[in-house]
Amino acid sequence: MDLLDLIDAVQSVADGVLFGATYSLLGIGFTLIFGVMHKINLSYAAASIGAAYASLLVMSVVQAPAVLAFVAAAAAGGVIGGLVYLVGFRFIPLANPLATLMSTVGLLLLIDEIIVHATAGVPLNYPALFSDVIVQVGPFGLRGDLMFVFALGCVCMVVLLLLLYRTRLGLATRAVSQQPTASLLCGISTTRVNVLTFVITGIVGGIAGAMTGAAIGMLSPLLSLPLTVKGLIVTVIGGLGSIPGAIIAGLIVGGLENAFQFFRGVSERDLYIMLLLFAFLVFRPGGIFARSAGRD
Amino acid sequence: MLELKEISKYFGGVRAVDGVDLGVSRGEILALIGPNGSGKSTIVNLICGLFPLTAGRVVLDGTDISDMPMHARVSGGVARTFQNIRLFGQLTVWQNLWVAQNSGEQRRQNFGRRWFGGSRGARSEIERTLEFFDLAHKSNELAANLAFGEQRRLEFARALSAKPALLLLDEPAAGMNAEEIDQLDDRIRKVREDGVTVLLIEHHMELVMSIADRIAVLNFGRKIAEGTPAGIQANPLVREAYLGTPETA
Repeated sequence: MDLLDLIDAVQSVADGVLFGATYSLLGIGFTLIFGVMHKINLSYAAASIGAAYASLLVMSVVQAPAVLAFVAAAAAGGVIGGLVYLVGFRFIPLANPLATLMSTVGLLLLIDEIIVHATAGVPLNYPALFSDVIVQVGPFGLRGDLMFVFALGCVCMVVLLLLLYRTRLGLATRAVSQQPTASLLCGISTTRVNVLTFVITGIVGGIAGAMTGAAIGMLSPLLSLPLTVKGLIVTVIGGLGSIPGAIIAGLIVGGLENAFQFFRGVSERDLYIMLLLFAFLVFRPGGIFARSAGRD
Repeated sequence: MLELKEISKYFGGVRAVDGVDLGVSRGEILALIGPNGSGKSTIVNLICGLFPLTAGRVVLDGTDISDMPMHARVSGGVARTFQNIRLFGQLTVWQNLWVAQNSGEQRRQNFGRRWFGGSRGARSEIERTLEFFDLAHKSNELAANLAFGEQRRLEFARALSAKPALLLLDEPAAGMNAEEIDQLDDRIRKVREDGVTVLLIEHHMELVMSIADRIAVLNFGRKIAEGTPAGIQANPLVREAYLGTPETA
């Protein structure tokens, strides 16, 4: 391999790591909902894409700068998150391990169908920010739109961590995830915490959806399934319930994805990601930062 | 202040609690005793709302709280401890107390300062509680890393955090040594002096006879006796119910 190839490879991995911030956010969403409810919300990535579509709808009505798309996607994500809780969890028997899994699969399909119906399945252009900026670092060029996506992802993560570890709401959230019964008997309304968790993860998901759209320049209903799978892979590799794990795993998966694509081609790419997941499940089922002590 | 009116709880065919009438007056320490499986813990669970009543009503200060969700009963003034400890293991001792400050007044107090950890009032309350339970030096320790006795004290402290009017203690002395039980005795008395009504479930008879104003005895889900410690000790029905149960020897 000559030097130019190496530069291309590093460039490709760097792009992947920057885009990986999207996976990190999705992984955090899956992990947070699992943390408080001990349930997987399979509709999460589809809802995030749905929120990005909703922001396009807003942008088509109002003439506004492109940055507003992110705000609109965040707002739509929050609303959709609340609706997902209402439809997929509120009245579903939580004691049945399969019930909410099926209700969220239903919501995943529903959201996809709504998108396909509304757009006739045709991909739509998504506004990118700073797409004309390229920062040259030696032989490498960092794309402005990807750096914006990465920076936005980092801001979201910092805000989430502050919310979770520096506020009373975050404290209540962690209490509920550790001891739901005792939380109720300390006067914490677990329903309220659950709703807020869905709304907040929905907002994060909406931003992640907009980030996806901005990074690849378009939105397609075909995005929701691969994003669901990537989000879940990130959640598993990071360790279910671990936020730092989800952040790191998202960046790793993003980087490796592009590395595999560079060396083995796009058709084989996901195969190797799945092998990575397999390796983690076998050798490190607790994720990157496996907890020393169990919850409780 | 608390009235249980003909409360029953059936689990399938098992009558865990079967038509119990019980009144707790303001400021007293009422002990609920009885052999294992007689329905003591179930009554505590019914009062705090852990599961619904099969029949009967729970009335607190004239308000029927039978259908209130658990967390609402806490702001209504009912708090409890668990027989098997249920602390928030991955939160610090301080956070365990702060997160439990959920009475109406505390919520308002904490609201403005909810972002960065507690109003001044909340802080000083927590400090006082930590001092009282001899946990001040463990304030920043994770609850999971405490010794057993400390965890029991923290569980008691957390129950007091929401400033309850009625405190339900479910076997607080379980697994404690004689010295710890003495301290527990003192603390329960002190809590009562501060105006908290206490409903105590306990197997440790020395403690019960020492601090209870009144005792109610359960057997097979029914109340078989109620009265002063001296009266209960002399009651032939109670002796019969306990005959051969070693934990009361």
